[in-house]
Amino acid sequence: MKPIAPVAVLAAAYLLVPLLLGGNAYLMTLLVSALIIAGIALAWALLGNLGGMVSFGHAAFFGVGAYTSALLSMQAGLPVLLAIPLGGLGAALAAVAVLPALRLSGPYFALAILAYAHIFRILATELKSLTGGSAGILGIPGLPTLGGLELGSRNGQYLLVLTVVLAFIALYRAIWRSDYGLALRAMHDSEDATRVVGVNSTLLKAAMLFVSAFMTGTIGALNAHVINFLDPDYAFSGAWTIVPIAAAIFGGYRTLGGPLLGAIAVYLLDQLLFKALFPSGHQIILGVLLGAMILLSPNGLLPWISRRLQRRPATEVRHAAA
Amino acid sequence: MHSTASHPRATRLRTLALAVALALGSFAAQAEEFVVGSQIPLTGSLARVGNGMLEGIKVAVEVFNARNTGNTIRLEVIDDESVPAKAVAAVEKLAADKVVALSGGYGSNLIGPASEAAEKAGLTYVTSGGVSDELTRRGLKHFFRINNNAGYAKAMAGLFEEMKLSSVAIVYSTKDATEGLAKAVAADLEAHGIKVTLHAFDPAITDFKPIINKVRLQDRAEGIAMVGYENDYVGILRAAKVLKPSSVKAVVGVWSLATAQMAQEFPELMPQVYGTAMLPFPVEFKSEAGRQFATAYERLYHKEPDYLGQFGYVQSMLLFEAIDRAAKNGTLAKGGLSEELRRTDAETIIGQVTFDANGDNPHFSHRMGQHQNGKVALVWPDAEATAPKQFPGVPW
Amino acid sequence: MTELILQSLYSGLLVGGAYALIALGLALVFGTMKIINLAHGELVLLAAYVAYTAESQFGLNPLASIPFALVIVCASAVLVYLLVSRIRVNRELNSLILTFGLGIILTNAVLIVWSANIRSTSSAWLQDAVVLGPLFSMRSEVVFFVLSLALAGGLWWWLSRSWYGRAVRAVSSNRDAAKLMGIDPVRTELVSFVVAGVLASVAGVAIYSSSVIQPALGHALTIKAFIITVLAGIGSMPGVLLGAVLLGVTESLTVTLASSALQELAGMVLFLLVLFVMPNGLFGGARRRG
Repeated sequence: MKPIAPVAVLAAAYLLVPLLLGGNAYLMTLLVSALIIAGIALAWALLGNLGGMVSFGHAAFFGVGAYTSALLSMQAGLPVLLAIPLGGLGAALAAVAVLPALRLSGPYFALAILAYAHIFRILATELKSLTGGSAGILGIPGLPTLGGLELGSRNGQYLLVLTVVLAFIALYRAIWRSDYGLALRAMHDSEDATRVVGVNSTLLKAAMLFVSAFMTGTIGALNAHVINFLDPDYAFSGAWTIVPIAAAIFGGYRTLGGPLLGAIAVYLLDQLLFKALFPSGHQIILGVLLGAMILLSPNGLLPWISRRLQRRPATEVRHAAA
Repeated sequence: MHSTASHPRATRLRTLALAVALALGSFAAQAEEFVVGSQIPLTGSLARVGNGMLEGIKVAVEVFNARNTGNTIRLEVIDDESVPAKAVAAVEKLAADKVVALSGGYGSNLIGPASEAAEKAGLTYVTSGGVSDELTRRGLKHFFRINNNAGYAKAMAGLFEEMKLSSVAIVYSTKDATEGLAKAVAADLEAHGIKVTLHAFDPAITDFKPIINKVRLQDRAEGIAMVGYENDYVGILRAAKVLKPSSVKAVVGVWSLATAQMAQEFPELMPQVYGTAMLPFPVEFKSEAGRQFATAYERLYHKEPDYLGQFGYVQSMLLFEAIDRAAKNGTLAKGGLSEELRRTDAETIIGQVTFDANGDNPHFSHRMGQHQNGKVALVWPDAEATAPKQFPGVPW
Repeated sequence: MTELILQSLYSGLLVGGAYALIALGLALVFGTMKIINLAHGELVLLAAYVAYTAESQFGLNPLASIPFALVIVCASAVLVYLLVSRIRVNRELNSLILTFGLGIILTNAVLIVWSANIRSTSSAWLQDAVVLGPLFSMRSEVVFFVLSLALAGGLWWWLSRSWYGRAVRAVSSNRDAAKLMGIDPVRTELVSFVVAGVLASVAGVAIYSSSVIQPALGHALTIKAFIITVLAGIGSMPGVLLGAVLLGVTESLTVTLASSALQELAGMVLFLLVLFVMPNGLFGGARRRG
């Protein structure tokens, strides 16, 4: 089962989805939005699992990445595909300002970073000459056409964002499996012990903060070129923190695939099902899901599914994989 | 006797049958149902205004369908949850469902991306929920709006100029629409030699006393202009009621202020306060079209129409009439709707409406109302006034 | 200028009193259980909406609606505790996320029940001006400032003098040792949640009486309360009062001396400064570094 499943999932994601759903712009837009959430959820989970830090302010990095890329492509005239990773770098640079917060533990870090998100939002509002202030930026250039593939079309956007998210999962996996990843995970159990072994825990934590900020910023930049619009309230909206956290928790933030699965499940359920059931205030179900998950299966949906799969007879597993 | 009597009756019956058949036949041949989409915030931060506009849109559908033009309109509504990505998704869903045009949208940050998606799909998009200048600067072919920042600024500044005040303090929220309007009013007033001081505030602020105290002690302004939303108005007016700045002769706000709802919920704060209003409260219509709207609104919602409903109604009615014309001259199927809509030149309940090359309505000028004895009277411009303004006058 | 600054200090002081009311409950639970109740702001908001319903439906003065708010909000606080106490693993993180989810539920429940319209008291008595020489305020602000002082004092007395208060402190410093000494930790924690509910009720009515409420407000209230808890330092109730006043005064002086657009920025920067420079808060002694 092991080697087949990822290949099957990849094939489905790259071939089946565009072939079957490609004609439905609405569904593709939902999927792109879900993948954007997945990217942030992944970066958030990486910081939590490897850095041991819970963040309530990833919107800060998302917004900085979005603004950096939009301004670089519009005012400096850089090609969009170059501006997007630079947006990620911009967010990583902004993370330097967050470094002092690394000394803080648990809830203090979580809310200190939220304060950063607020500060960045107010700065984006006040620095009018650079950001256009609260009026925001309209007409941000869309994704270009690359080797005949129209990245700006819904299918192109989907394939690009999907590829970026999958690349981030691969990066996450590589860090996870490296010696540093081992050290980082050991750090949760006992920080003093790792210090004795000679691991510089602060440096490693800082590195994870940069990686997480880079990922979030890149995703923010992608989103800016998909939506073609930015303003401070939108770029630094609390929703860029809340929904990814809910998605990561729902899918299982301790696994590699959990945040992606959770984001797609939460976003599509919310838009296609809950929205129809509760026209106003359907976010209430998001809250219920989050609470129920923490109480019933704190490790999320993916571990729960794999537990269920393992308990089943082998034939059924093969069936599920195919 | 019998035969002579039966003959005309038979003829009459035959004629009637013929008429019915003709009517039915023509009905079947001509009457067509067109689906109009509405991408509009019904939840999230813009829920209240979005729902208000939707009421007006629905009234327009009722009134239009009752006219028996031969064509009817059906509405398909999608809530964009006040989120730009969902607004784009909504437009795409509506495009996939083959709507002929879109009427809705609230907030420049939602209308911006949504109308760009509509442009890509070649769909006519008409709104009254976004007044910022950037929207019409884009030069979209299929974008139309019936109101704009300039019309609000014109009304607010016009009222101050008529009062002949020497200085005005503008207290405004750092949001998009409010900031743009505050700057426009400031420029207009300064051009008329009125001294202006600007006080921007963060939307999260709740205690306005430190700001109003600056107006009272430093600016000694004769007028206060409030550019914000309901919660800001309440905070500013309460602070002013406590501090009672003696130099102030008039307090003027913009949208969501000179309304029946504010008069009923905050009766002690509102006396003599000015705000933009298209209609007085209680509503009195001078025109037949206005009465038609008010009757239908009353029947559907059992309350007086507010400004959101009025704008939603006008934008939709103009669109439906253009659809009807385009369907009849055969250009609708060929993508000629936007061109047809651009030919609009109509006298509506919000005044004359035409559209320029960018889809803006150059005739738009708001009117100013004043809370007087629990009612709202129109006091500016003179041509529309229902009562003289009570000036000088403040709520304290 | 002197007059401006005096009024600004006075406004900041009164706003600080209201902030303290919001923060005391959060600080108490945090001090007792090391749990940040991210639904605390929503509990405050719930009390505010109870006051709205009592006033608009039954014509009750907001002050008279406090008992009704107490019943509903304390019951909700107990419910929050019962759910939080079910968490077995990684309590610090999981409780953060659980209460966050509860906050989302409460916010949307308020939206569904009371709609998105803004609300505030219509009581003229509460809104009347109170003038002390060059200092101006609404009567409601003075009333709730006094109430806030009294509650902070009462809470301080309760924690340091009463049996339950000592039990709360014992459980917060060492749960197991407290158990050995015959203190029931569950009951003690429950009591601290109920007391937090009482504080949230008064805070909610205070907000309804002097400013404007709408469903999305709860989250912002929680953040304000947390900032103040950090300024104060864990477990210091007088510290909460002083921290709240410091925040209120910083905000109002920013408006007076610089620009009102920077008020929120000033609060956030103050928060980060204290966090980085005095990690134990201005008045606290507990450790919070990682």
